Amino acid sequence: MSTETQPSSVDPTGSAATSSGPRPHGSTWSVTWHGVRTVARLELRQRVRSTRWIVSLVVFGVLVGLVTTLTWAFTRSMGSDMIYGGMSGVVGPTMFGFIVFFVLFLGLLVSPTLSATAVNGDRNAGTLATLQITLLSATEIVLGKLLASWVASLAFLAVSLPFIAWAFLAGGNNPAAVVVTVLLLAALLAVVCGIGLGFSALTTRTAGSAVLTYVSVASLTVLSLVVFGLSVPLVSGDEEVRVYEADWSSAPDADPETGWGDDPECEWTERTQYVVHTERTWWLLAINPFVVVADAAPPAVNDDNRFVVFDPLAAIREGVRTARQGPPAEYDYCWQEMSSDEQAGITAFDTHDGPPVWPWGLAANLLLGAGGVLLAIRRLQIPYRNLPKGTRVA
Amino acid sequence: MSTSDDRTPPAEPDATAAPSVPAPPPADPSPPTTRPPVTVPPTSSSPAHGGIVARGVRRSFGAVHAVAGVDLDVRPGAVTALVGPNGSGKTTLLLVLAGLLVPDAGTVSVAGHDPTAGPAARAVTGWMPDSFGTWDSLTAREVLTTVGAAYRLTPEHAEHRAAELLDLVHLRELADSPAHVLSRGQKQRLGLARALVHDPQVLLLDEPASGLDPRSRVDLRELLRELAARGRTVLVSSHVLVELDEMADDAVFISQGRTVAAQEVAAVATQWRPWRLRTLDLDALVRWLEAAHVPWQPEPGAPPVGDFSPPDEVRPARPGGVVVQLDTEATAAALLRDAVGAGVPIASLAPASGALESAYLALEEERR
Ligand SMILES: Nc1ncnc2c1ncn2[C@@H]1O[C@H](COP(=O)(O)OP(=O)(O)O)[C@@H](O)[C@H]1O
Ligand SMILES: [Mg+2]
Repeated sequence: MSTETQPSSVDPTGSAATSSGPRPHGSTWSVTWHGVRTVARLELRQRVRSTRWIVSLVVFGVLVGLVTTLTWAFTRSMGSDMIYGGMSGVVGPTMFGFIVFFVLFLGLLVSPTLSATAVNGDRNAGTLATLQITLLSATEIVLGKLLASWVASLAFLAVSLPFIAWAFLAGGNNPAAVVVTVLLLAALLAVVCGIGLGFSALTTRTAGSAVLTYVSVASLTVLSLVVFGLSVPLVSGDEEVRVYEADWSSAPDADPETGWGDDPECEWTERTQYVVHTERTWWLLAINPFVVVADAAPPAVNDDNRFVVFDPLAAIREGVRTARQGPPAEYDYCWQEMSSDEQAGITAFDTHDGPPVWPWGLAANLLLGAGGVLLAIRRLQIPYRNLPKGTRVA
Repeated sequence: MSTSDDRTPPAEPDATAAPSVPAPPPADPSPPTTRPPVTVPPTSSSPAHGGIVARGVRRSFGAVHAVAGVDLDVRPGAVTALVGPNGSGKTTLLLVLAGLLVPDAGTVSVAGHDPTAGPAARAVTGWMPDSFGTWDSLTAREVLTTVGAAYRLTPEHAEHRAAELLDLVHLRELADSPAHVLSRGQKQRLGLARALVHDPQVLLLDEPASGLDPRSRVDLRELLRELAARGRTVLVSSHVLVELDEMADDAVFISQGRTVAAQEVAAVATQWRPWRLRTLDLDALVRWLEAAHVPWQPEPGAPPVGDFSPPDEVRPARPGGVVVQLDTEATAAALLRDAVGAGVPIASLAPASGALESAYLALEEERR
C-alpha cells in the first residue's frame, strides 16, 4: 500500500497495517502458531462463556465420582472375600480399570459434541467465511478448531483425574500405568475430535455430522467387537493339528484300591480339531480404543499374587494378545508334565509371550483422526471450486 | 496501490490496457453529452491501477448461471456502485473478487493481485458479506481484536485499531457488551468495522446499508467518501438506488449475471428522466404546458386533470403537480424560467427519481 501518498493520521484507514504486500501467510497449507492460537482462543472463549459448558463439566465430574465410589465399594467387598486375599492386589487394579474405561466411555461420548459441529455450525452461523477471508490459512483454522475441541475434551479428562488418582492410591497399581493411560486417553480424545472435525466439514447439517461421528465411534468400539465375534466361524474350521497328549489306551490299569493309576505316557499324535484363526481378525480388536488403553497399560504390580484375579485391563490384554497369536502350531495337552513345569504351562497363554497390539491400534486411530483433519483442511480451502450442495459462502 | 505494482511496472496485459474510467459501454443507452472532467485519482498515476479489473468473469452453480459474463473496472479513489436486481449475481461476483470462489472463466485482478492465486489479494481486501453472523458471546471489541489477530496485527496494534474503529462506527458504548445484544443495524456497523480492521486497499461491501437507520446511512456515505478520497477502491453493491446516488462516483449495472452498462453517476444525471413539477394552480400550469408543447403526464395517483371541469372563472385555483421528461438540468432551468415568466405559480421542480434509479429503470425497459 502506498501509504506515502496518504496522510498517516487517518481515522478510517488507520495507520499502515502490517499486512501490506504479498506474504506467505494464509495460503492453504501454511501454519503458524500465531494463527492456530488465534482460532483456538476464539473457539475456547466462546465455549467457556456458555453455561452449558460448566454444567456438562459438573455432570461429568459427578458421574465419574459416583461410578468411582461404587466401584470402590464393590471391589472392596469382593476383595475381602477373595481366597487369595490381598486387598492391595485386587481393589486397586480393578478399580483403576473400571474408572479408566468409564472415563474413556464418557470421553468418547462427549468429544463428538465438542468437535462435530465446529465447521458446519460456523458455516450455518455465517461466521466461517469471515474467518477464511482473513490471512488465516485453512490449515490454521482446522488445527485451531482441533486444538480447541481437544483442550475442551482434556478439561473433562482433568475433571476425572482425581478419581483416577483415587483408584491409583487404592494400591497395587503401577505408577507407569497411570501416566500411560492418561496419555492414551488424551490421544484417543484427540482422534475423536479429528474425526468429528472431518465430518463437520463434510456435511451441511450439524445433526448429520454429529450422527456420523457417533457412528464412527460406535464402529470402533462396539461394531468392531461384534464383527469380530461374528467372524469367528468364518475363520475357523476343523484342521489336522499335532498334539502332545496322554495315550490312554496304553495306560496301565488303575490301582483297584485307591482308584488312582499311573498316568499314561504322553506322546505326539496327529488329530483333527476345531481351530480358530483369530490371527486373521485380531485387528478388529486392536482398533478398539478400549483395547488400546487396556493393552498399553503396564501390568499391575502383584508381587503377593501369582495371578491377577480380577483386573479388567489385564484380562483384555491377555485376550487380545492371544487372539493375535492365533492357534499354536501344536497343542500340549499333557497335564501330567505341567505339575513339574507348571509356570511354563501358564505362561503359554500369558501376556509376556504375545507382542503388544496397542501400537497398531493407536496408529490406526491416529490415522483416522489425521484423515478427518486433512479432509477438513481440503474442504476449507479457498477459493472454492465446488460448493457443498445447498450451501452459500455468504 | 500495492507494493507489488511498483515492482512490476507494465506487466499485466489486460489490466494495464484498460482505461481507469468506466469501460466503453457497448450497451450504453445514450452516450452522455456533457461529461464532467474526470477527476484523476491521486494514486492511479501508473496505468496498472490498484483497483479492480475483471474480464469475462463467469461462475455457475449447477444449472444456474449466477455470473455469466462480467467486465468490470473499478478505479481507486472512487466509490463504485454495483447495481442490479435480486439474483443478478452481485453477491457471487463479490465472492469471486474477495477470493472465496473460483470463477469458471475470466480473469480478475484486485489491487494488482489475482485473488484465486493466493492470499496476497486477501491481505489488501476488506469484505463485508451481505449476511453474516458474529461470534455472539464475544464483545464487539473482542470481535475486532480477533480479526486483527487473524490479519496478523500485533496485539497492541489490534487493540488500538479496534478502539479506533469502534469510535468510527459509533459503537463505543457497546464495545464491551456481547455481540448478541447488538441490533441488526449495529451488527451491520460492526461488520463494516471488521472489514476495515487491516486497513484494506480495496473494500468490497455487499448491501452494507441494509438495516441501517438514516443517521448511520449518512455516516456510511461519509465514511466511504472519505476512504475513496484517500485513494481506496470501494465497490458497493445494492439494489436500493437512492442511497447509492449520493455516494457513488461510478455505477456498474448487472442483470442476470452480465454487465449491462457502466457509467459515471454524474453522466447518468444528464440523461432523460422524469422530473416532478408542482404548482399552486394546476389548471394554469396545464394550460401553459399545452401551449408550450411540453409533453407531460399527470402525477401518479393524482385525480385526472380536467375532469368534469366547470368554467375556469368560477373554479378556485387548486394545487397539484405533473411529471415532465427532461434531459439535463439546463433544460430544467429553462423550463422553470419560462413557466415563472408566464405567470404560472410554480412551487417546486425536482427529479422524480434518483439518477441511478431512472438509469436502471431505463435499462430494464430496454431489455423487455
Ligand atoms: N451456492 C449457490 N448454489 C446455488 N445457486 C446459487 C448459489 N449462490 C447463488 N446462487 C444463485 O445465483 C444467482 C445469483 O445470486 P446472487 O449472486 O446471490 O445474487 P444477488 O446478490 O445479486 O441478489 C441466484 O439465482 C441464486 O439463486
Ligand atoms: Mg446479494
